[in-house]
Amino acid sequence: MPRLLLLACLAAAIAPSVAPAIARADDAVSAPTVACPQGVLMLHMLKPQTNPPYPGQLALFKAANPCVALDIAEVPFGQLADKIAVLAASGEPPDVIVYDGPNTQSYAAAGILLPLDPYLPAGVKDDIVAPTLAEHSYEGKLYSPGLQQTTLALFYNADMLAKAGITPPGRTLDQAWTWAQALDAFKKCQQGEGDNVTVWGLAPSRFGNGTPGFVYRDLPFLRTWGDPKAPPDSSVYKTYWAISPDGKTADGWLNTPEAIAGAQFFQDLFSVAKVTPKAGIPDAFQTGRACFTLDTSYFIAGLTNKDPGFKWGVAPMPYTRTPIVHTGSITLGVMAKSAHQEAAAKFVIAMSTGPIALDLARSTHILPVMKSLYPSLPELTQYPLNIFAEELNQWGHPRPPSAKFAQYDKIVTDALRDIAYGAAPKARLDAAVRSLRPILAR
Amino acid sequence: MIRRWVTIAAFIGPFLLLLAVFQYWPVVAMLRDSLYDFQLLDPSRRSFVGLGNYLDVLTDPDRLQAFAVTFSFAAGVVVTVIPTAFLLAVYLNGALPARALVRTIVFLPVVTSAVVIATMWTFLLEPNNGLVDGVLTAVGLPRLDFLTSESQALPSIVLMMLWQQTGFATVLFLSGLQAIPRELEDAASVDGASALQRLRHVTLPLLARTTMFVVVMMTVFSLQAFAPPLVMTGGGPDGTTNFLAYDIYSLAFSLQQPGLASAVSVIFMLIVLAISLLQMRLLRARWAY
Repeated sequence: MPRLLLLACLAAAIAPSVAPAIARADDAVSAPTVACPQGVLMLHMLKPQTNPPYPGQLALFKAANPCVALDIAEVPFGQLADKIAVLAASGEPPDVIVYDGPNTQSYAAAGILLPLDPYLPAGVKDDIVAPTLAEHSYEGKLYSPGLQQTTLALFYNADMLAKAGITPPGRTLDQAWTWAQALDAFKKCQQGEGDNVTVWGLAPSRFGNGTPGFVYRDLPFLRTWGDPKAPPDSSVYKTYWAISPDGKTADGWLNTPEAIAGAQFFQDLFSVAKVTPKAGIPDAFQTGRACFTLDTSYFIAGLTNKDPGFKWGVAPMPYTRTPIVHTGSITLGVMAKSAHQEAAAKFVIAMSTGPIALDLARSTHILPVMKSLYPSLPELTQYPLNIFAEELNQWGHPRPPSAKFAQYDKIVTDALRDIAYGAAPKARLDAAVRSLRPILAR
Repeated sequence: MIRRWVTIAAFIGPFLLLLAVFQYWPVVAMLRDSLYDFQLLDPSRRSFVGLGNYLDVLTDPDRLQAFAVTFSFAAGVVVTVIPTAFLLAVYLNGALPARALVRTIVFLPVVTSAVVIATMWTFLLEPNNGLVDGVLTAVGLPRLDFLTSESQALPSIVLMMLWQQTGFATVLFLSGLQAIPRELEDAASVDGASALQRLRHVTLPLLARTTMFVVVMMTVFSLQAFAPPLVMTGGGPDGTTNFLAYDIYSLAFSLQQPGLASAVSVIFMLIVLAISLLQMRLLRARWAY
């Protein structure tokens, strides 16, 4: 009797955790119907709340695939990586995840993503733009075709520039400002001094958690001091890549004299020139509290849909020695533990290519990943979207790719944030390298 | 006899099981994980490193800084909250005007979510539009970089915790004050003791049990602080607000080093246990009433 009681208690305690697993297995395929003789297959997908794929693209997929249904769980973008880490270790992961593309190699190395090469139609791999192909591949295998791409450009308030007597930067890549020119313009355009700044030269970052330092936006301040054409053993060359080619060390790549000079320039924007604030200001550019901002082509839709009340323009990203923009965006992948790998892979490929990918690009003005779609999107050859498209093709590089990118991203973001707040650039970059050493070498 | 054991098992079994599954098993798993090197993304691929993670904790400047910052924060909270709460409790224990209103105002932050409070204080201390800097500039003082300055971030969070936790400590002190027999103070008055002497020689010694409880609770609350670095500072600037609870979270999830995070947790747990025991011993009541 006591044993029975104990068993009953045990069953009651574990029942809630077992029940969903049983339910998922039962729910995966519904009973056959006339339209779907094999039944309707349910694919489970995890995605961030405000990122693609959007309802329009999902509706297109459903119309073309009536025998596949989607169960979508959404989380805030800030919790996405943690959620994926927990689900990956669980026995009940979703079939498909929408995740941040630079994490592809981390997820692939950990064995949680399925390589998609066996499912890719002929020609798709060759159709992918180079930065995405590099970012989404690991040890020769492709883990995601990619949904979209982003690059950064310099947005400016044309009215404020005219008032300050600043000639706007050119619209082609060869007319890009250097950072020295940009800083001069930030200073001229800024209004107010000391504690009474009313209009900042450069808007604060709105990426990550809104503090300075986000690798996507701010690491190019250092990398632009490098040169990929320099001798491979030179510090100038290493500065450009910011991590060794095998992703095993950042020592001598992230803390080079050139990177430290770039970090010093970055810090001076906050502490010496004081042309950008250390803390975030919501919608600083749109509300006329900043003359310039660095943002992606996403930003155009916001300015177009809601007139900010001033004329604005876009120019290529400024540079110091070598122009560079970071690439990488949200993408789709199949979990290696999925019980429906083929169906999930077909879903991911359908969302990333052909008419659905075209619909996403048209509706959002975000750069597509497939080169074959560009002729169908004439707006990408016209101002202002052409700047982002040309940057992607000529200046675009993934954030330093590594199987430990998530860790690199966290440590370098914290280091750049601290440098913006006043930490000594050399000491802080050395500390970041020290923290990265055991992680990257593992 | 068997029937009696069955009855006992029926009553305590489910709770014992829950306690074992959700309290004791995680501690055992933490001890086990602290001896391994692995990633949360792929926990099946793990290698035994023995005490290697513990050695890393004790030699890594970032971890040592996290310990130092956390205990500095706890000390800051305890030494500011205890006297403030005690004085407020003494005020609320007297027949003074607006007592009920003050009690409500003081206690309100206690029942507010830690994340809400951290978010609210982020706005208050924000250098561009924050209320606090607005007041400073209005009276002719320079703006302060509360959360972005290495020297000001930790004191700013201590200030926030003082605001949040004073109410709880005050209520505890108040209940302690109200439990002290009135006759003892009256007797001291008859013997000619002044108000200050009564406070020092009667009230404070008799409040020893309450004080011990408040000190232990404030210490434990402070050592568990997680929302401030998560919401307000991200552990910066330069690790000056990288409290251990946040450091453990970052190590396990962002840096994918759950083995190292477990080792930090074990060391932290032992230190907190030792501090609590020490506090209970030092503040042991020498009086009974």
